Amino acid sequence: MRGALALVLLLVAAPADAQQPSAVAAPLPSAVAEDSISVGSDYRGSSITVFGFNPDRRGRGDIVVVVRGPDEPAVVMRKRRVFGLWVNGNPVRFVEAPTFFAMMSTRRLDRIVPPALIRQYQLDPAASARLGSTVRYGDPAAYRAALVRLRRAQLLYQEHVGVTTPTRAAAITRYPGGLFRAVVRLPANAPIDRYRVDTYLFRDRRLVSSARLEVNITRVGIEQQIHELATNASAFYGLMIVMLAIAVGWSAAVLFRRN
Amino acid sequence: MIYLPIAEMTVNVLLVLLVSGSVGFVSGLVGVGGGFIMTPALIFMGVPAPVAVATGAGQIAATSFSGIMTQTRRKSVDWRMGMLLSIGGILGLSSGVWLFERLLGLGHLDLVISLLYLVLLAGVGSLMLMESLAVLRGRATKGVSILRRPARTIAHTLPFRMLFPRSGLYISVIPPLVLGFGIGALAAIMGVGGGFILIPAMIYLLRMPTNVVVGTSLFQMLVVTSVLVVVQSRVTHTVDLVLAALLMLGGVVGAQLGARLGARLRNEQIRALLGLILIVASAKFLWDVVIPPQETYVFGGGVW
Repeated sequence: MRGALALVLLLVAAPADAQQPSAVAAPLPSAVAEDSISVGSDYRGSSITVFGFNPDRRGRGDIVVVVRGPDEPAVVMRKRRVFGLWVNGNPVRFVEAPTFFAMMSTRRLDRIVPPALIRQYQLDPAASARLGSTVRYGDPAAYRAALVRLRRAQLLYQEHVGVTTPTRAAAITRYPGGLFRAVVRLPANAPIDRYRVDTYLFRDRRLVSSARLEVNITRVGIEQQIHELATNASAFYGLMIVMLAIAVGWSAAVLFRRN
Repeated sequence: MIYLPIAEMTVNVLLVLLVSGSVGFVSGLVGVGGGFIMTPALIFMGVPAPVAVATGAGQIAATSFSGIMTQTRRKSVDWRMGMLLSIGGILGLSSGVWLFERLLGLGHLDLVISLLYLVLLAGVGSLMLMESLAVLRGRATKGVSILRRPARTIAHTLPFRMLFPRSGLYISVIPPLVLGFGIGALAAIMGVGGGFILIPAMIYLLRMPTNVVVGTSLFQMLVVTSVLVVVQSRVTHTVDLVLAALLMLGGVVGAQLGARLGARLRNEQIRALLGLILIVASAKFLWDVVIPPQETYVFGGGVW
């Protein structure tokens, strides 16, 4: 139970931080329950659990946790009707957009921070996606919204607002004494890469403290070997599949002839 | 459930085996290659079209090898013709992979695959349906096809003629090369073996004797799909080893079982039904490109 261990560590470490005044951008005591996640052949997605501690004695302030995958270029196209067929056209290139982005907050983001800070700290995926050039076709905002919508449909962009109450489970759970926990679910199609976990404590529409953590998702065992081969020794990888095809075809022919 | 390392998705092992097994069974039963049923089935299951097309080639290689094992015993492969068709095929698949990559980059690959399948499934489906209905009504007798074999074709008049002893032919090398090229390009873009075009063309255009047609076409498919798997792995990185293994397993076993049952069965009803299913599947492809989409924006340029 690494989660429990992280929790204990936090409680031990907490009093020291609790003494500090709420200076801007002081480190927020936090930890992830898993430093690395392994992807094997039974991988069906995973989850990242973040623990943190709000040093305020009366528990004031709002917590925002952002889990994001690496930034990568993306192209969004718009379908147009050409001779009755819907054809992809008007490509717009984003120089970088987060491949995964989950935002969890105790209240609605616009109640916690002003829009300028949402942009500054990149608290929503649209704020983090950077357009390559000027958009020649239509509205850049529409493309930005489409990017978020498409990724949201794939569960790659998620937003979870609210705190767990006795009647309703939420992404963020607060425990007595200032401890909190945030859980985000990564779908199987989320990129296998290095993830960044940012925890923020806001009060009176200002940042009180924050912390940055990392979680590594790595392939292990046969998945790792297959991926290695497919990228670094692709010709050999292809030959291997041909060999496999011949072996399967041969054994089937022999097996069924004898029956 | 198993994680596919290249498709980067999780699929149900039993479902994939069931689908590939039944596709293999049907193709063995009816005597058609499974590629043009398998690839759309994978696309409908949610496998990205480029991965489905490239990985399907591996399964066709397995099925053709298993077929060739039984065919070569009967000395039914015209190796010289097979080599010629394969050379054309390799040139064709190289152009096909190049086009595949270009279209992927432009964001049009899915549409082109859909349109080609739309035409292909509608064509093959209606031919199958018409032919089997004709047989069922007793208009055509066993072994006689609707088409009549011409005595001399363009293959006999073009230059660069060559002797094919096994087939007993003296014909130009141009038609086999062109034919092989077309099949290779189709294999690269659609993930099909191309038997449904190759076999009729060998019979009616090249005038090859029917006893060497099946073996030779299997040989060509084996060579073309094997090379294709290597080239796709190298160029587009869209071949999924785990998915390929599952497809081969299900497809080959299904095909053997189907062929066994098919030999003992009058399968005109099944052919008619399959024809109907193919027409319905082509209608599904048509529907997807014609109806106004719910989401007008899509990811393009290789991001699926």
